Amino acid sequence: MCKRHKASTIKSAIIFFGLILVALSGPLSAANSLPKGIMQLDGRTAPALILKDMEEESFDLTNFRGQWVFVHFWATWCGPCRKEMPTIQAMSEVIDSSKLKIVLINTAETEDTIFNFLGIVAPDLNPLLDTDGLVTEAWQPRGLPATFFVSPKGKLRYLALGGRDWNNKVYLNFLTSLLN
Amino acid sequence: MKAAPFLLILFIFSAGAEALAAGASIDKKKSPAKYEDDEIMFRIIERNPESISAFYQGREFSKQAIDEILHTCYVTVIIKNKTRTTLWLELDNWRFSRNGKTIQRIKRDYWQKRWDKINLNQAHRSTFGWTLMPESRDLREDEGVGGSVVIPTQTTPFLLTANFFTKPDKSGPIKTVTIKDARCVKDIKPAP
Repeated sequence: MCKRHKASTIKSAIIFFGLILVALSGPLSAANSLPKGIMQLDGRTAPALILKDMEEESFDLTNFRGQWVFVHFWATWCGPCRKEMPTIQAMSEVIDSSKLKIVLINTAETEDTIFNFLGIVAPDLNPLLDTDGLVTEAWQPRGLPATFFVSPKGKLRYLALGGRDWNNKVYLNFLTSLLN
Repeated sequence: MKAAPFLLILFIFSAGAEALAAGASIDKKKSPAKYEDDEIMFRIIERNPESISAFYQGREFSKQAIDEILHTCYVTVIIKNKTRTTLWLELDNWRFSRNGKTIQRIKRDYWQKRWDKINLNQAHRSTFGWTLMPESRDLREDEGVGGSVVIPTQTTPFLLTANFFTKPDKSGPIKTVTIKDARCVKDIKPAP
């Protein structure tokens, strides 16, 4: 009887610690499953983002509560930005735009410079103009390019460090899982 | 869109085979100027004044602003963290020297004063700022960073010793990269 009780206690302990391990491994697995270069953020509220695009239309991030927003900072002088931009154009053609709003923010360049570049590599994308660079500085990206993912509740959830091929299956899967 | 032509002079560095604890001694042998081991990729891009000037002219910087920039020495560096942990880029832990004497680095506040003096517009200040190496950055696994570190113009080669703390709490062994015979590219050609 005593042996049976001891065995039962050991079994319970194993199950208990097993459950703790499972509970702990949940978030770790989720973090580990992020594609290379995607970093989880602390969920603080996204800074203000009110800018005009090249057609003088005003954009306010707060109007996009309820959907994920891809906030991408770039400049034409930045090599990785130039390489990455066509992949954003390609990704934008396959991602459900009702679920993911793609927002490109050019940092401190003129319309001519932007138009000359985007007109060739990504003609369908209409960037916002951070003409003095101050919005970019307020967001504090870790360099250019940088992409923030803002949740439907307006929180900063992920940051993509540097450039990548957004049309690559790994990143498309990440986006799809995010939106679903 | 004009891309600034960079003159890449790469050195092959002899790497300390030790892990993070070891300092990586970099001897300038021959071009190209690239040091790489299991923990870090560290590459210096020597930009001659003409290429620097062309870059900023392409961004419509004034002659005054370009002249200010050309009065200094740009050490443009690209770094990639290849460790499985955090590598701390902190420019205050880098030392430029010659014969044991420190060469003071030109920090960001210097530029603010210069730009105030010539009334450089905010957009150009912002662009310029993004071309400088961040003062501090916790480089995550696989993360890269690039930018220029600025020192007064030097006429003879100098030594760069870059120390990096490791691990998120900086408790890991210090990674050291040393570049011997670094130099400023001469032949400054004034902007037209």
